[in-house]
Amino acid sequence: MAATLMTGPFCRERHARRSIGRMGGAIGASALAFVLCVCFSAAKADDLPSIGDLKRLNVEDLMNVEVTSVSRHAEKLIEAASAIQVITQEDIRRSGATSIPEALRLADNLQVAQKNAHDWAISARGFNTDLGNKLLVMIDGRTVYTPLYSGVFWDAQDYLLADIDRIEVISGPGGALWGANAVNGVINIITKGAKDTQGLYVDAGGGSQPRGFAGARYGGQLGTDTQFRVYGKYFDRGDEVLASGNSEPDAWRQGRVGFRVDSAATALDNLTVQGDFYDGHEAQSTGTADSSGENVLGRWTHRLSDESDLSLQSYFDQTHLSDPVSPLLVGATQFSPPGTFYDDLTTYDVDFQHRFRLGARNRIIWGVGFRHTHDADVNAPAVGFLPAVLDQNLYSAFLQDELSLRQDLSFTLGTKLEHNDYSGFEFEPDARLSWNLSPSENLWAAVSRAVRTPSRIDHDLSEGTPPYLVLLKGGSDFTSESVIAYELGLRAHLNSQFTGSVSGFYNQYNDVRSTSFTPITILPLYFANNLDGDTYGLEFSGDYQATSAWSLHAGYTLLREHIEVKAGQFDLSNARNETADPKHQISMRSSLNLPGRLELDCGLRWIDTLVTNNGPTRGTVPSYFELNTRLAWHASERLELSVVGQNLLHNHHPEYGFPDPMRPEIQRSVYGKFAWRY
Amino acid sequence: MAVLRKVLAGWLCGTLALISFCGVCGAGAATEYEVKAVFVFNFSRFVEWSPQAFSAPNAPFVIGVLGNDPFGAHLDEAMRGEQLDQHPLVVRRFRTVEEIGDCQILFIDRSENERLGQIIAALDHRSTLTVSELDRSSERGVMIQFTTENNRIRLRINVEAARAAGLTISSKLLRSAEIVSIRGGG
Repeated sequence: MAATLMTGPFCRERHARRSIGRMGGAIGASALAFVLCVCFSAAKADDLPSIGDLKRLNVEDLMNVEVTSVSRHAEKLIEAASAIQVITQEDIRRSGATSIPEALRLADNLQVAQKNAHDWAISARGFNTDLGNKLLVMIDGRTVYTPLYSGVFWDAQDYLLADIDRIEVISGPGGALWGANAVNGVINIITKGAKDTQGLYVDAGGGSQPRGFAGARYGGQLGTDTQFRVYGKYFDRGDEVLASGNSEPDAWRQGRVGFRVDSAATALDNLTVQGDFYDGHEAQSTGTADSSGENVLGRWTHRLSDESDLSLQSYFDQTHLSDPVSPLLVGATQFSPPGTFYDDLTTYDVDFQHRFRLGARNRIIWGVGFRHTHDADVNAPAVGFLPAVLDQNLYSAFLQDELSLRQDLSFTLGTKLEHNDYSGFEFEPDARLSWNLSPSENLWAAVSRAVRTPSRIDHDLSEGTPPYLVLLKGGSDFTSESVIAYELGLRAHLNSQFTGSVSGFYNQYNDVRSTSFTPITILPLYFANNLDGDTYGLEFSGDYQATSAWSLHAGYTLLREHIEVKAGQFDLSNARNETADPKHQISMRSSLNLPGRLELDCGLRWIDTLVTNNGPTRGTVPSYFELNTRLAWHASERLELSVVGQNLLHNHHPEYGFPDPMRPEIQRSVYGKFAWRY
Repeated sequence: MAVLRKVLAGWLCGTLALISFCGVCGAGAATEYEVKAVFVFNFSRFVEWSPQAFSAPNAPFVIGVLGNDPFGAHLDEAMRGEQLDQHPLVVRRFRTVEEIGDCQILFIDRSENERLGQIIAALDHRSTLTVSELDRSSERGVMIQFTTENNRIRLRINVEAARAAGLTISSKLLRSAEIVSIRGGG
């Protein structure tokens, strides 16, 4: 019985990952390739305008000089007292990324693993499991993690990448300002204002992966102070493969349309209204899964003075999921037949925020928020949620004071107070010290507490829905997981060529999710909070502007995790199920502007071996090097042609998952693209 | 895999064709702050200061940076060896607005966002051309604001603020800039 138990739920989870399971569920050569890239880059780097050349231009010509701004965000960030990294539009464009998860590989402080053609595991500071749940992700202020498991359906999040202004990635807790789920990090995806996306933009292309894609945007004027844009995007991705080289049926296509209107209604008021609709279809071994959704968001900001403003934001968001679920098999015995799981989630959210100065030294931000979710499931025999329909309310309030101790020293103290229906009141305080050692160096330290509040999977999951056998269910006593994080960081802008940041952390986790069993009947297994542990690590990121045409980037992440079963308690997986992370991660990038309006970009990454979760035994994904390159030609002011190679070093390689013959692997791919703006 | 190889081969040909076709074209890109440094240099040419703006006929023409310095060495390089009439161009860096003495052009860094109102107030009635890249800073009283559009530098000029400080901005500069008028709030 014990043996069956050990393999049963785990095997089940393998299938689960596909269905609800989307939620549950060559050093030498590469170094040589990178060096070749870099050498080629270096040889051509110097043919660029000097300051002297620029001074000979008249003002009109000077305005036509294209500028690169590798370090701009570093300057803006120099005083930020957190481990923040910013992915700019330019970074995204030059990476050749075709989706938001691919763009997130540009943040050194994230772990990004592609599971198959349409699924990714993304996390900061560890815990990157199939049910990874410690990241808060927002698109233009709209929270996009699902209350089903507090993780993100990355296949549902997309945008016309050319209209993304930047992606801010904060590793470490952000609970005091952002609230629950900002345990290990916050990702803020920020699109451009309508004013900055005027005119027509069209891109299209295709290759081995994605097979084909097209996007378009038109931005125009609705009055002297009001601008709008509308956009659409479509792509078609082909199947990936298995280790054997046989095709894995996971092809994916998705269409998306949206709009944004910005109005500077008065000199002091700004209004934004935006919305999106998407519809996608993903092949998987159990059949085709459909995912669609629509949202609309409005935001009003009112400036009271230079140092004071109000903002009021509200959004409405719906997502629809239909997912074929395989039968629940343990050995040759079928416990429940195949079926389809449906989830319809409706979210209403309203947030108010006020920023002002109190006296000469205090800068205060406070706010209140309310969110209502209505989650309606149709359960499959093998998996579902009980109750199937659930309404929940989340109330929150936060207050933060940034106290200026000296011109160069500030202390920030803040907290969020939340009330949710599962665990009641939650308290997430945060204290930060920021010291500008010089105008270009900042040393910061922080201590904070953050919580991962229970999600539906923790409380309401039913793997096997009655009358069928229930193998695993949510825990009715499941409580919040919490972390106390200690952080120290240094950010330096050494000169006009070098910027760098390094941060270290030590995190203590309490009440992390475990799997327990019921005395006597053994089944069903259920979720409890029987794990504790700590993690520590280091994140380094550096940019070097070698010449005005050539920039280099390097990133390194160290992560150690020690998660243990609490003394006297039990966990079925012996604390192995909540982590799946590489100890080391290295990335190097080179961006070069060549004569003839050519751009050559290379990105090399090395990911250490990771021990996977959700297996009957300890399984691993081997360490790997991978290389992406992009060559682009600006045929004219308006037309850019590019060819992008992704994952060039292997025919196919796995990035995630338990090593069995059915684990998908990611293939080498090449695509071509044109982008035209008018 | 056969399909992939075919695609790879196809793109390889395309890539080679692109490279050979486009051996020599125009100039490449410059870094943002090189270009901005040259803009600041041009401001000294296209703005008129009254003689009273200088303490002596041969006093230096001071280009100040307030807060963090995003230019690195580019600003110094752009001004090196230059002078305006009898005034040699010099670059000075200030941490606080109180440190600012004579200053003809002041670049206010993003780091000063929260203090911008006080800075503008402190510079009232001084013939200092204020320059910043802070969002909406021209509405907030800064005379010249840098913005970036499609990787190119653009200017937004608050003519009234410059006029109030006794500065005259040449039409050569105004022609290619967006003119901002103060609509309350300032």
